[in-house]
Amino acid sequence: MTNTNTLFFKINPSLKFILISSLFLVYLFVQNLNTMIWASMFFLILYYFVSGLSGKWSFWFVLITLIVSIFSASAMILFGKGSHIIYHQSLILITQESLARGILLGLRTFTFSLIGMIFATTTLPVPFFYSLMQQLRVPVRYAYGCLAAFRMIPIMAEEFMHICQAMRVRGMTRQKGIRVFWERMTRYTITMLAQSIRRAQRTAIAMEAKRFSMTEKRTYFYEIGWSRNDIFFVVILLLTVTSGFLFSAYFPLTPFTNVLDH
Amino acid sequence: MSKEKNTSLKLNLSDILVTIVIALVFGLVFRLLGPVYDLVKPFGLHLDALLYGIWFIAAPFAALLIRKPGVAFLAETAAALAEMLFAGSGGVINLYYGLLQGAFSEAVFAAWRYKKFSIGVASLSAFAALIASIILDAGYAYLPLLAGWNLVLYLVFRVIGSVLFSGLFPYVLVKGLEKTGVTQSLRPVTKEDYDVLK
Repeated sequence: MTNTNTLFFKINPSLKFILISSLFLVYLFVQNLNTMIWASMFFLILYYFVSGLSGKWSFWFVLITLIVSIFSASAMILFGKGSHIIYHQSLILITQESLARGILLGLRTFTFSLIGMIFATTTLPVPFFYSLMQQLRVPVRYAYGCLAAFRMIPIMAEEFMHICQAMRVRGMTRQKGIRVFWERMTRYTITMLAQSIRRAQRTAIAMEAKRFSMTEKRTYFYEIGWSRNDIFFVVILLLTVTSGFLFSAYFPLTPFTNVLDH
Repeated sequence: MSKEKNTSLKLNLSDILVTIVIALVFGLVFRLLGPVYDLVKPFGLHLDALLYGIWFIAAPFAALLIRKPGVAFLAETAAALAEMLFAGSGGVINLYYGLLQGAFSEAVFAAWRYKKFSIGVASLSAFAALIASIILDAGYAYLPLLAGWNLVLYLVFRVIGSVLFSGLFPYVLVKGLEKTGVTQSLRPVTKEDYDVLK
């Protein structure tokens, strides 16, 4: 299991959520390739130190994400507009401009994946939703709804196994063909969905029977507050972001300071 | 008391919980489909755009099922949040796409004042979510800077994918669920229901 005793696990989840999601807006407007290169490097360093994944998994995740991110920009690289041609054959047209844009897009996706991974691997669902209720005033019914739903995942997994086993007992797995495949898929989805809906309804009725969220004032089992760690977190994040911008200004690695120009 | 609640269009706890559970199921599906989507990306031919439509499914499905205001938006947002918490590819991007797609899908159902839940309206809501995703992509992925034919290919694939996976498919699914009878207790009471009692 991951060690939950690290700094990033102890930050107020709402603060972490808001700051991390606001990074989307910061990097959405970055058009300087150098900034994106340095930012992705600094977030990679941050990820290395704070992520909740163990070393081996972490390495493969980063490698695969990097490859996928660059691939995701392949349309821009291969078929983008531009005037300084590097390679041209029939429809494929690689230009310096489109290559720079493609790499920027790839690195942006890569950075967001890293940031998302930092958040996902260091945030536990229960404190997260408690914090949403207490700090961000998310209505109790929605937050507890999410918590109850999370608790149903293992039940759904078990149910899925049951359907698999029932199909095997009745010999459905030996039948072949597209029709059988369609039937099997609908059996899985309809059964799982119908059961989940019924279970959610029963849970809701049980909660209301115990007068859940029917009174204005309530107390919380977990009190999520603030600590010195939150300040550390803000400082670390600010350092990572600003050093990305500073390094790109003083140590530009490429001439592409605005990929939309040229 | 329950009868009184069902007649109103306000969301009660049961609606919220059902919506969130559905959203969570779709969040899991999105998470599992993420790698598949990434695998078909490398050719630059936008085969991924065909699959993209699946990501709009939560909103129309929930709206067709529960038929109340706010459900579509809640479902799409919760599914995006779930995908983010499950560490889906793209991370925080998902949340913004989910919020906007949910709002656009919701707007289509609102335009019919939550009275029409046909296959056409479902497809339109998927199409609205598609518009939302393209608005975000224009800024995020610099769509206008793609070569003309490539951009057209991309748009056509996305329209086909979204109508197929998030217009027709949820409709078929909900029809299937209607047969099981679970939808009866979810939907607000309509005029036809009263007519049966006459």
